[in-house]
Amino acid sequence: MIDEALQDWIEKSLNETTTEVESRALEERLLEDEQARDYYLNAVNLHASLRRRFAAEAESPTVVSFSAETETRRKHVPGIGLAVTACMALIVGVFALLMSSSQPIAEITQVVGAYRDSGAAYSAGELVKRGPLKISRGLVRLDFLNGARVTIEGPAEIEVVNEMHVVLHRGVVTATIPESAVGFVVDTSAAHVVDLGTSFGVSVSDDGQTDVCVFDGEVEVSSSETAPRLLREGQAIRASEHSKMIDSAPFETSRFEKAWPINSGVLQTTGSIRFVSPGPSFHPGNYKDNEHIVVFPERRGFVPKEAIRVDMVDPGQYAKSRYREKPTLLTEQRLTSYLLQLNAYPSGKNPNRRRSVRGQITFAKPIVGVITDDRLLKESEAAFRIPNVKYPSARTIEPRPEGDLRHGFDTVILAADRRTLLIELQENPGHLDQVRVLVEAE
Amino acid sequence: MASPTPDSSRHEEFVSLYVRHEPAIFSFVLGMVRNTADAEDVVQRASLTMWRCLDQYEVGTNFRNWALQVAKNAALNHLTKVRRDRHVFSENLVELLAEQAEDRAENLDARRRALDSCVEKLPPTDHKMVVSCYAEGATIRSFAEQAGETANKIYKRLNRVRGQLQKCIERQLGLEEEAAQ
Repeated sequence: MIDEALQDWIEKSLNETTTEVESRALEERLLEDEQARDYYLNAVNLHASLRRRFAAEAESPTVVSFSAETETRRKHVPGIGLAVTACMALIVGVFALLMSSSQPIAEITQVVGAYRDSGAAYSAGELVKRGPLKISRGLVRLDFLNGARVTIEGPAEIEVVNEMHVVLHRGVVTATIPESAVGFVVDTSAAHVVDLGTSFGVSVSDDGQTDVCVFDGEVEVSSSETAPRLLREGQAIRASEHSKMIDSAPFETSRFEKAWPINSGVLQTTGSIRFVSPGPSFHPGNYKDNEHIVVFPERRGFVPKEAIRVDMVDPGQYAKSRYREKPTLLTEQRLTSYLLQLNAYPSGKNPNRRRSVRGQITFAKPIVGVITDDRLLKESEAAFRIPNVKYPSARTIEPRPEGDLRHGFDTVILAADRRTLLIELQENPGHLDQVRVLVEAE
Repeated sequence: MASPTPDSSRHEEFVSLYVRHEPAIFSFVLGMVRNTADAEDVVQRASLTMWRCLDQYEVGTNFRNWALQVAKNAALNHLTKVRRDRHVFSENLVELLAEQAEDRAENLDARRRALDSCVEKLPPTDHKMVVSCYAEGATIRSFAEQAGETANKIYKRLNRVRGQLQKCIERQLGLEEEAAQ
């Protein structure tokens, strides 16, 4: 039964004038009465339609002339034509709405200890409108509506002009630009950087010097004094505010070491884990580093076509197990894979010296599987269509057997948050340790 | 490195599907969050999520159902955030409303279509009030001031006009049904 009390609560709810008590009363009533819910849905539907129908008329209060115009158009354009025109107008309208100044054009999707000048923290889920953005410290990742992903490292000042254009006044940004946002522009006082479908980093130091590094694909760089210059992956330039000249520079990615992983779905690395931006003609086997466990991004956002055996799926410590006891991932979800590796080479006075290298890595999304066994690594490489690399020997992680108290074993722990991996590997020159991590795609 | 976003023809398809169903999504969300400004925000956020997760939507399946699922999650997230400050609908009720709105999606669409002609039939003064109260950024209070009336009076008039529109919609749908038989 639709009584007056219910009607009154619903009307007040639409007018946004309900008191706390009325709001609770309405909820109680709707919970128990299906008919009341129907009535409520109809009322909201009407209210929402009126809002959508008339919202646009705030700036053109002359309703009469508006409908007169549609009338005349209707006379000239035949049926289907009208539908098409209306649809086009609607699409343009929706985009205009999305792009207009009051509408958010990007969302903050990742935050690592980032604060405003006021001391207030940034948090994931905040919407970003056009205008200036100041980050006193920490890292913020913006995901634009068109798919562009930009990570900013503070202290930074950036201006979001629109979803295809930002101006960097100070600080470090890295950008990953999909096909849908090719042409994305980063401007600084010294350079004009146009993306051509790629990943790249731009930094502006306090004295106005601009550095650009291309991790993948191509960008075009110009200044007010120079012609556009094409920059390919593995290349870098430096431009100064004063000379307006653009000079080649060594491909030095350390500046972008914090921001770039976040573009790639890695929130944080600590200890001796280092995220590597693959340069040209790169493969994991030829990357040697005695000091670090390095992380390479592999395939992004793919759905495995077959079941995949892994060594770990649940939080806990990795222990050896038989092949047939390995858990199988039967997933249809999209995955991103990363390769963690320690590839030490004999060096120095004491080539037989053994040390351990350890650290921890936190991903933005949950880890769904960890692979360490040589046979499973090979299987997954075939399944993921990862370019075949010939390794000189089996890749082996040696976990501590139960009850064995000696030193010198490898440890891989999947933390309870399912996003963090703690790793300690024994340096063993000539032997390669690898761990493949499968993470839910962003 | 594989491109993380789908190709541009899918984007075009998305835009056209999204535009078609946006009114349904907005209505769906507004019923859950009950505040126009918040609903606009939630819909905006949901559209970003849809855009980003477009390849989770399978072509040929019901776009509206998929979009409503995404929108419901966005609404629930929003409600969890504001629940500390004021009373909002419980998750329980939101699920009930979502289920019922999905079941009645066709009917709610038909009601929106019927509304168009009903609005045109309103007497000029009522029409003008509806336009003014529902224009973006307009508030009933500001309209009341302009019209030299109390807000309370305008609320009452608006409630009455909405009641009339609702009856007109029912009549219209009744006529359509008759015509179909």
